[in-house]
Amino acid sequence: MKLTVDGTDHEVDVEADMPLLWVLRDELGITGPKYGCGIAQCGACTVHMDGVAVRSCQIPASAADGAEVTTIEGLGQPDALHAVQAAWIEHQVAQCGYCQSGQIMQAASLLELNPDPSDEEIDRVMAGNLCRCGTYIRIRAAIHTAAAKMQGA
Amino acid sequence: MRRALILAALLASPALAQETASREAGLAAWESIAAAASHPRCANCHVEGDQPMWSGPSYGTTRPHGMNVYAGESRIGAEYLSCGTCHAYREEGANDAPHMAPQVADTWILPPPEMAWFGRSSAEICVQLSNPDLNGGRDVEALAEHVQESAFVNWGFNPGGGREPAPGSPEEMAELLRQWGAAGMPCPG
Repeated sequence: MKLTVDGTDHEVDVEADMPLLWVLRDELGITGPKYGCGIAQCGACTVHMDGVAVRSCQIPASAADGAEVTTIEGLGQPDALHAVQAAWIEHQVAQCGYCQSGQIMQAASLLELNPDPSDEEIDRVMAGNLCRCGTYIRIRAAIHTAAAKMQGA
Repeated sequence: MRRALILAALLASPALAQETASREAGLAAWESIAAAASHPRCANCHVEGDQPMWSGPSYGTTRPHGMNVYAGESRIGAEYLSCGTCHAYREEGANDAPHMAPQVADTWILPPPEMAWFGRSSAEICVQLSNPDLNGGRDVEALAEHVQESAFVNWGFNPGGGREPAPGSPEEMAELLRQWGAAGMPCPG
C-alpha cells in the first residue's frame, strides 16, 4: 500500500486488515500515536486521515491506501508548534501524557471545523478521548486558548 | 326482500370471513415485525433526538450512547464528532470484537428523526410504518427492500461481538412486511 504520512510518501507491504496504527508504529516507526484499547473506546490513537480525525486502530490498511495521514509528529514541529500544542504546554495539560497525542489531534480537528467552540461543543467533540489522569478541565482551557490564538486574538 | 337479504348475507359472509382472516394474518405478521423493530439493535438508532441509545442485554442500564455523542442535524455527527471517527468500515473482520465500535457502512448515520420509535409501543410503530410521511416515503414494497438491502438493518440481525441480534432475518422480515402489506397494513388496537 502507498500512503503519505506527515508529508512523506511511503510504500509498505502489509496485510490488508492491518490497522493503520500498526502501519504507523510498527512499519514506519512513528510512535507518536498510542495504542490504548484497540476498539475505538479511548482515542489515544487519533490521527487525521484525509483531513478527518479517525481512530487509527480501527482503520484497516486497505482503507488507508492512498490516504494522506497526519500524526502528532507532523502536526507541528518543536520550533513551530501547532497552536494546540503550544496551548497544551501553556496550560501544562499533560500529566502522564499517554493520551495527549490523541487529545491534541482531536482538538486540532475540532478547531478546523469550529474555530470558536463553546464548552459544550468542546465536550461533545472531546468526550471520546479518555484521560485517566482527569485533565479534562485543562484540556478545555487549552482548546479555548488555541482557538483564540488561531483567530489572531 | 327477505330473499334478497339472505342472498346478500350469503354473498358477503365469505368475503367478511376472508377479510377477518386476512386481518388476523396481517396482525400476526405485524407482531413479528414489531418484535424486530423494537429490539435494541434496531430501536437504539431510531431515535427522535440526535443521541443514539445504548440499551439491551449488552448495555445494562438504558442510557444515551457513551462518549457524550451527538449526531447533530446532519445525523452523522458532522457538527461535533463525526460518527465515522470511531465507526470505521471494513468488509472482513468487522464487528467481531465485543465492545468495539461496530463497522457497518462507509457512512454511519442515524435514521431521520421522523422515523424515530425508540420506546414506543407496537401500535404506535405500526401506525408510523404504515404512513409514508413517517416512514421515509416508502410503500410496503419499499419497506421490504429497505430491510433487505440496508447494511445497517442487515447488521441488526447479525451484529457480532456478542451483541444480541434482532429476532429473525432480513429475508424473513421482508416477507412478513409483504404479508402485512397484503393484509392492508392492519395495526393493533
